[in-house]
Amino acid sequence: MVATIKGGIILIRNKTLAFFRINIVHLLRLPFVRKARNRDILSIETPEQLCCEVQEFHCGAIKRILREITSFLKGAILNTFTPAFLVILVPLLLLWELLPRFGIVNYALIPSLSTVLLTFWEMLAQRQFLHDIGDSMVKFFAGLGLAIVVAVPLGVITGWNVAIRKRILPLFQMLSPIPPPAWVPITIIFFGVGFPMQTFLIFLGSFYPILFNTFGAVKDTEPRYLASARSFGASEFTLILRVYIPSALGAIIMSIRSGVSAGLIMLVIAEMYGGSSGIGFVLNEARSFFNVPRMMVGMMTLGFIGWFLVEILKYAESKLVVWKGGR
Amino acid sequence: MYAINVDNVTKFFSVINEDKTASGFTAVSSVSLKIETGKIISLLGPSGCGKTTFLEMLGGLQAPTEGSVYVDGKLVLETPPSIDSTKKEKRAYKRKYRFISPLANSMWRNRPKHDIAMMFQDYAVFPWMTVFQNVIFALKLRNVPKRERRERALHQLKKVGLDNALSKYPAQLSGGMKQRLALARALAVQPKVILMDEPFAAVDILTRERLQDELLKLIDETDITIVLVTHDISEAVYLSDEIVVFSANPGTIRNKFTLDIKRPRRRNSSEALEYEERIQSLLKYETKHLGDYAI
Ligand SMILES: Nc1ncnc2c1ncn2[C@@H]1O[C@H](COP(=O)(O)OP(=O)(O)O)[C@@H](O)[C@H]1O
Ligand SMILES: [Mg+2]
Repeated sequence: MVATIKGGIILIRNKTLAFFRINIVHLLRLPFVRKARNRDILSIETPEQLCCEVQEFHCGAIKRILREITSFLKGAILNTFTPAFLVILVPLLLLWELLPRFGIVNYALIPSLSTVLLTFWEMLAQRQFLHDIGDSMVKFFAGLGLAIVVAVPLGVITGWNVAIRKRILPLFQMLSPIPPPAWVPITIIFFGVGFPMQTFLIFLGSFYPILFNTFGAVKDTEPRYLASARSFGASEFTLILRVYIPSALGAIIMSIRSGVSAGLIMLVIAEMYGGSSGIGFVLNEARSFFNVPRMMVGMMTLGFIGWFLVEILKYAESKLVVWKGGR
Repeated sequence: MYAINVDNVTKFFSVINEDKTASGFTAVSSVSLKIETGKIISLLGPSGCGKTTFLEMLGGLQAPTEGSVYVDGKLVLETPPSIDSTKKEKRAYKRKYRFISPLANSMWRNRPKHDIAMMFQDYAVFPWMTVFQNVIFALKLRNVPKRERRERALHQLKKVGLDNALSKYPAQLSGGMKQRLALARALAVQPKVILMDEPFAAVDILTRERLQDELLKLIDETDITIVLVTHDISEAVYLSDEIVVFSANPGTIRNKFTLDIKRPRRRNSSEALEYEERIQSLLKYETKHLGDYAI
């Protein structure tokens, strides 16, 4: 099958080689061509690269996704655990292991690292802890997702339009100083104890940081860009889509980052106050049994989840906001 | 037929001072100006004399306080009601622009109010789009049909010598290249009028002179009208058909020069130098009361 695309441009070594008509077998099915069509341009350095891209396509989607995930994990781990940091981290971990072991600190209050890791391993083997993590994550992503879906558009609209801002924003500015944990009692009365109440509390925690940061970033869009797009004829809708949002995108992703940390706080509070499963519940349970290693496992799991989500957001930013890099 | 007709325009800014008292500042005061189609006009004057404000009123980025601006026979922006207007008029204006700013084109459909393009000193090319996408986007906003866009963008980018940087982002370009991109973007949409606010002020002198030559070459044999704000006297003399000298406090037209130097012009020809000297002495007089004020 020979596919034809009209108006494509192939750049080889940055020179325009051929445009307006390219015939290559299966060309249209190649993802990089499709991508190129969206971005109006297909830039490859050498003819060999074309072959590479073709091969890469044939190696299948799953493999490519795996490759992407690997590169993300590698980047996240290598960027955090740099040699410079390990020099600090390893002695700290050693202290944690040795001080309780030699009785310098109270072993019952601070169990050594190996004990905690062993407890972690046992908990994983019991499966119950995995269910708890899964449970917490479902609630967390439901709450955070809801917050993103509501707060980002609201922030964009209030950042864009002064009239809407004046009508809507003061309401949230009045409600936001109420600390989210203060909402717990009334939420329990409204929703009872369980999933809706926990999701709502997580939503509440991450909603305000996302809303206000998105709003601020959109409001501070460089007026020159707006003037320039308007003078070319942009409608307000196009301005929102092609100027306000792209210019604020980095800040929006970072606002989700603060939403993640606020959401995690609310996750723990919600599960401690009302729930029969989840990491917060495990923490509470461990307290009543005075099981310090179990508490520490719960805390470290939460810390790891937060770190991991932030790394994902950083990766998303680096992929979506490619244009920010300098020369 | 005049490309631009400015009818007795005044711009007044109300300023809220630090001690919460209100005061006012007249940036542009009763300026009338008619600009013929196809001419290059320079607006020259000391900084702070309202050149940018004036240009933005031509481009519809600010509404005049009094008077009106017509581009190609069409009113650019409705003048807001003045202090003497009736309550009814004021209320009607307020209601009309309650949700959408008077500067907006429309809510949904891309359509410029006026056939102009603008260029700014700091380029104002979109950093999140590649060179090619920047030009394509401008053409899209003008509702150029899809298949025509690529050809026109590529053609124009080739003309300014950016065809080997198509997929680069503005952050990867030098200042001169960015200004070339802004120029290509403005020319690609084939506007009737291009408004430039100190377009070449941020690039080095060699690049500046090259860009000036390129500009002259690119608009040769088109009937694009150019209004160029500059504080560089030799640039104004080299490029323009007419120079309008502004004076500050309040910003008004001080003097107009029509330059009948044949094209192609040479830099530093005796004619040009003569004009430069005349303008220089006028501006010196103009800024004397400001002390050693840079022009
Ligand atoms: N939004 C504004 N509010 C108050 N004063 C302004 C505003 N914009 C400009 N001005 C004043 O108007 C005068 C003219 O400004 P501008 O047009 O930028 O001058 P130029 O471009 O000639 O240097 C300046 O004194 C400036 O302080
Ligand atoms: Mg200025």
